Amino acid sequence: MNASPDPFVGAEDAALLVAYANGDGQAARYLTARLLPRVLAQATRMLGNGSDAEDVAQDAMMRLWKVAPDWRQGEAQVSTWLYRVVANLCTDRLRKRRGGVSLDQVAEPADPSPGAVAQMQTQARMMALSDALAQLPERQAQAVSLRHLEGLANPEIAQIMDISVRSVESLTARGKRALADIMAGRKAELGYDDDEPE
Amino acid sequence: MTMTNPNDDMLDDVFAQARGTSPVPSDALMARVIADADAVQPRAVAAPVARPRLMMRMLDTIGGWPAVSGLAMATVAGIWVGVAPPASVQDVTAAMMGDEVSINLFTTDLILDAGALGDG
Repeated sequence: MNASPDPFVGAEDAALLVAYANGDGQAARYLTARLLPRVLAQATRMLGNGSDAEDVAQDAMMRLWKVAPDWRQGEAQVSTWLYRVVANLCTDRLRKRRGGVSLDQVAEPADPSPGAVAQMQTQARMMALSDALAQLPERQAQAVSLRHLEGLANPEIAQIMDISVRSVESLTARGKRALADIMAGRKAELGYDDDEPE
Repeated sequence: MTMTNPNDDMLDDVFAQARGTSPVPSDALMARVIADADAVQPRAVAAPVARPRLMMRMLDTIGGWPAVSGLAMATVAGIWVGVAPPASVQDVTAAMMGDEVSINLFTTDLILDAGALGDG
């Protein structure tokens, strides 16, 4: 977006947010460049659908702009806050989707080259994962996605979800087990044989 | 010995593929997000400065209400000294300006004397 060097280099996200709330016209641009890729990635991994993920990412960023005037530096990290908001927005979408969609939504490629087929299979797996997450209780889906899709540590997940580390461990264990059972039924259609993942 | 659940293997593989998904926000999405930010950004509004009324500005020029009360006291004291000067003030005035002299320009003696001159 902006080719000029970031004048806020070294400043924390919260400082930029306060600058934005104080009327700094550039702060939002640099904050968007910093945060939007991760927000979009989290939403894409949970929803398995680029269009839905873009809507969630835009919604999450809008909530950030609106909370900016009330943001208290030092009380929370912007990244932690965003993880929570995106996880909540995604589980809202998953709840509405519950009942199943998935593979039918993945269009057949016009050119079935090996690359295109592989890409389509990956897309099908991401959609299947998202559909399986939709079958889980919301807190389990959030904990599992933060642990296994975002790769966060349990203490950080505990902070994001405002629960104890023990609860995180319990939620992720139960969630992963349930997810494996759900996905097992679609093993063949997702291109996994019985012995080894591709 | 640890048993490996093949379903877990598949799930771990799907997780790994998901973690490898790092979409780059499109220019259109960036533009929408920045437009949202601009639309709801709080504007810095300068607080209007109340212009003091003329009377208050005049009072401020001479030092406010304390100065006004001092002026009023001095005025009353001056008038009182003029109307009923204390004896000490009269003495000082006499010493500075000389003794008080009263001249009556229309005394009967002078008129009579003028008549005597005419007669004479």
